[in-house]
Amino acid sequence: MGVKIKKDLAFRRVAGELFVVDSAKARLHELNGPAAVIWEGLTKGRGEAAIAAAMRGEFEVDARTALADIRNFTAELAAAGLLEESV
Amino acid sequence: MSIMRAAAKAPAACGRIGLKIAGFGFNFKSYSAGIISILEKRYGRFGVPGESGYDLEIVEARGSQTPFKPAVSFDGRTLELKRGDFEAVIDTRSRSGLVRVSPTEQCLDAFLRSLISFMLIRSGGFMLHSAGLVRNGKAYLFPGISGAGKSTLSKLAAGSGGGGVISDEINIVRLEQGRWRVYGSPFWGEMRADGRPGSWTLGGIYLLKKSAVNGISPCADAESYRTLLRCLVNFSSDAETAALALANTARLVSVYPAGRLEFSKETADFLRLIR
Repeated sequence: MGVKIKKDLAFRRVAGELFVVDSAKARLHELNGPAAVIWEGLTKGRGEAAIAAAMRGEFEVDARTALADIRNFTAELAAAGLLEESV
Repeated sequence: MSIMRAAAKAPAACGRIGLKIAGFGFNFKSYSAGIISILEKRYGRFGVPGESGYDLEIVEARGSQTPFKPAVSFDGRTLELKRGDFEAVIDTRSRSGLVRVSPTEQCLDAFLRSLISFMLIRSGGFMLHSAGLVRNGKAYLFPGISGAGKSTLSKLAAGSGGGGVISDEINIVRLEQGRWRVYGSPFWGEMRADGRPGSWTLGGIYLLKKSAVNGISPCADAESYRTLLRCLVNFSSDAETAALALANTARLVSVYPAGRLEFSKETADFLRLIR
């Protein structure tokens, strides 16, 4: 069982940053470039390896660092209540 | 008390008032002389006799302001707006509805803000917590949260006679035929004016910063987008409306990159920088 972005969130990329609105909680989240790539990977249902590859394509980062960033950021998203379990 | 039962109790004399706000027409009717009187007094400058648009019957009811934040729901046809002191059910297809409100200016104001903010987002625009000024026939917006300087700037502009104030608290923007326009707003803050009807081409957007010296500098798109989103008025809690708000705001920022206005609260000299 993995995780995916929670339903009922609105988001849009502007000027390289991703803005996420959690209307139910009336909260606005702002994600930087690498975080936006991870977010967009999760919205497309991609796994860690695929997201890490996308990160390496956009940023100068090695695979190990990319995977660590994905795990850390995913934990942050979960803590913020922006993820749900995917079956 | 249900809305329908309250309507059935209506006495014979029915008052009517037509309003046009933000380009939307409203025909209000009510058997409550008190409500018609408040509407005439509060929004009279936006009055348009026989205006076509939404036909809304208003029924007087009692209630408290708790919960204070309006709840907005929309199923694609029926719009429901609810707060402790008002409740509205509006059929958007037939453009008719029934509104139950406490007979106070604050309650009617809250109801109209909820309704018009929803309609604006659905029609490509939005309400913005901002000061709005007219300079050389164009409207300039200064978005900011509480304490940013909206009322200070508006009072300075009004006092100087060099900048007509559209509102010191909430301004209305709409995209019409590919161009952004700012509409006169009846929703004011500290200045408590009754607003000026009309609309103006949007001339520019400036984020506010209080300073000892006046000046203008560029502002990054992400920062202006963030500020606009934080100042956007939206009471709806559904993702679809939020997505529309994000899209409308992105469209505005793509056409009007904001600047930053540093202004001194001592004089209205900053007006010379607005163009």
